[in-house]
Amino acid sequence: MKKISRRAFLSVMAAAGAAAALTACGGSSGSSTAASGSASVGGSQPGGHKLTAYAWDKNFNIPALNAAAADYKENVDPEFELEVIEQSGAGDVENAITLAGSAHDYSNLPDIVQFQDHYIQRYVSDYPDAFVPMEGADVDWDGFGKEKLSYSIVDGVHYGVPVDNSTVIFAYRTDLLEQVGKTIDDMTGATWADVTKVGEDVYAKTGKYLFSCSGDNGDLIYIMMQSEGVAEFKDGEPYITENETMHRVCETIVDMAKKNVCYLANSWSDYIDQSIQGDMVAGVVQGNWIIPTMEAVTGNSGKWEITTIPKLDGGEGYASNGGSSLYITANCGNVDLAKSFLAYTFGGSTQTYDNALRDGGVVTTVLKCADSDVYNEGIEFFNNEPIYKQIVEMSENVPIIEQSDYHVRAGVYLTTAVINTINGSNLDDELANAEQQLRFEMGL
Amino acid sequence: MKNEKSGSLMAKQRRAGWYYLMPGTVLITIMSFIPIINGFLTSLKTGSSASMKWASPLTYNYTRMFKDALFLRSMGNTFLYLVVEVPIMLILAILLAQLLNNHDLKFKGFFRTCVFLPCATSLVSYSLIFKSLFATDGLVNTVLCKLGILQTHYNFLGNPTSAKIIIILALIWRWTGYNMVFFLAGLQNIDYSVYEAAKIDGANGWQTFWKITVPLLMPTIVMTAIMSINGTLQLFDESVNLTNGGPANATITMSHYIYNNSMGQGVANFGYASALSFVIFVMVAILSFISMKAGDKRD
Repeated sequence: MKKISRRAFLSVMAAAGAAAALTACGGSSGSSTAASGSASVGGSQPGGHKLTAYAWDKNFNIPALNAAAADYKENVDPEFELEVIEQSGAGDVENAITLAGSAHDYSNLPDIVQFQDHYIQRYVSDYPDAFVPMEGADVDWDGFGKEKLSYSIVDGVHYGVPVDNSTVIFAYRTDLLEQVGKTIDDMTGATWADVTKVGEDVYAKTGKYLFSCSGDNGDLIYIMMQSEGVAEFKDGEPYITENETMHRVCETIVDMAKKNVCYLANSWSDYIDQSIQGDMVAGVVQGNWIIPTMEAVTGNSGKWEITTIPKLDGGEGYASNGGSSLYITANCGNVDLAKSFLAYTFGGSTQTYDNALRDGGVVTTVLKCADSDVYNEGIEFFNNEPIYKQIVEMSENVPIIEQSDYHVRAGVYLTTAVINTINGSNLDDELANAEQQLRFEMGL
Repeated sequence: MKNEKSGSLMAKQRRAGWYYLMPGTVLITIMSFIPIINGFLTSLKTGSSASMKWASPLTYNYTRMFKDALFLRSMGNTFLYLVVEVPIMLILAILLAQLLNNHDLKFKGFFRTCVFLPCATSLVSYSLIFKSLFATDGLVNTVLCKLGILQTHYNFLGNPTSAKIIIILALIWRWTGYNMVFFLAGLQNIDYSVYEAAKIDGANGWQTFWKITVPLLMPTIVMTAIMSINGTLQLFDESVNLTNGGPANATITMSHYIYNNSMGQGVANFGYASALSFVIFVMVAILSFISMKAGDKRD
């Protein structure tokens, strides 16, 4: 008996040891993916001078964060340190939040996260305790562009500090427009029908599409809708089949795609790498964060100029797409420092925004910061026009339209409808499908 | 006395056996069974992932999916891949195995390595390679244009039909060699004398293949078929990386749809995603059962 019990004890111990080892492996590998292999995981300690942040895009957002950190260190807290943990894309940050929120365990999140504007409403309703509101921070909220700020206000409470100004630009290659006898001024305030005609000429003459859009998200539809001042949602419900503007926008896109005016890219990488950097297009319509991507094609420097978006019935359209903001997580041990850092830098420091623009092409949403010399410089790539000044001016005109937690999904279903229509089905049926699918997903 | 003694020895041994099983049992319970049960409970809930509530009725997620056009489409896509790809791949694998099993073939090791090599590439990287090969200005388009077969560059991944064909091509390229290895092993277990006897009886190659090779390989065929069915129903990497489910969800697979419902695009509907996973699990079980029965028939 004794022998057996000792054996039993040993085997149980062995099993427990093995199980512990395995669970330990599982645990550590899980958290290391969340932190993308970085040594320091989680938030700061109270009273310190160090903050951690998740961000993505080393050519855009990360230089902006570094500029802010340098500014704060120089002018406020000489011991301040910001560790930016680079993620491979916005989706990684969003997944980390979803995982932490679902597990009710925020211990793997950094102090500050940066993610795309459309998600915060949903996160606050899904995970009410995941983010620390910016209340009490010393920020002049009136200094920001209203449309941009509207995303990060949930039930009247400010949750985030905007980083980039996502105002949409329509950039054209003036040398290619010239070949069909047009100038940038002809394209300003035009109707989409005019633009389609020009696009057909451009394609016939140069073999280039007038512009492109990614076929796996709803960017173009949203941009065109917002510039008309109409949303895909009305009173919290999808507004698609009854929406006359939506019909016209989708018809226009189908028409432009069929006439080789708009290149519908298969995926994001097809959109970025092939259509824009592969020099397939004579124009780009997107949030101004696309500019660094365009500038990678150095051979076309000086040939570009920007203007506003066309409208269905003519006139200058304004929209905003795909920007992001910074949020303080529930895991932050040093909320006062985080608030002070965000308020001082992205809340309206000219030094932060000047360097963010210079190093990363990040355009401010704080209107007064656009008065600086950096903003008024002509940009060589854009024919020496002071485009950043123009962009900030454009941002003041962007109409505020109804937002929804389901914005991203709506875009996917609407784009699906457009692509199916291009491939031969009926637009009305497809829009009805999209609305049905979206309502279904929203539990309506 | 005697009986009692041997009985207690037997009991001791039996107990020792159970102790040896303990570690494995504990591990599989913690690692697999408890998560499976939790997953099933989750599949009966709805709501945001942070505050899930029991669905009313409890089967809400399960009834919902059969009204979900996108899920039905993803199921259709997955079964299309299954029905088209698995037979082509298995037949190719048997033919290649047969060729490479030829006693007179030179550089056998080299050829076998060549056919098996695709399996050494990771799923994500080969998907990305196929994506760049078939991109609008990718290698395939350039070559076809230079040869004059295509007039203008064709958007292979932008057309629903061609995108599906490319996924199937990619799957065949990636998995044929893998299955061939099993067939090669199976073929080497068939005694060469059986073939010699058949030759003496005047059987030609075709007859030998169908009357000897295929029946004797049946256990291997059943095994590879089950593995392929299982693998295809859970297809994920290709759909995500090669086409991202597009164009317009024309190539999305069931697993990809589950991912979109749980992590993708800002949605965290874990209840519905778990329910979908259980349905796939049942499908895999049923299909595996059918193919096992079909393989067993001759015995």
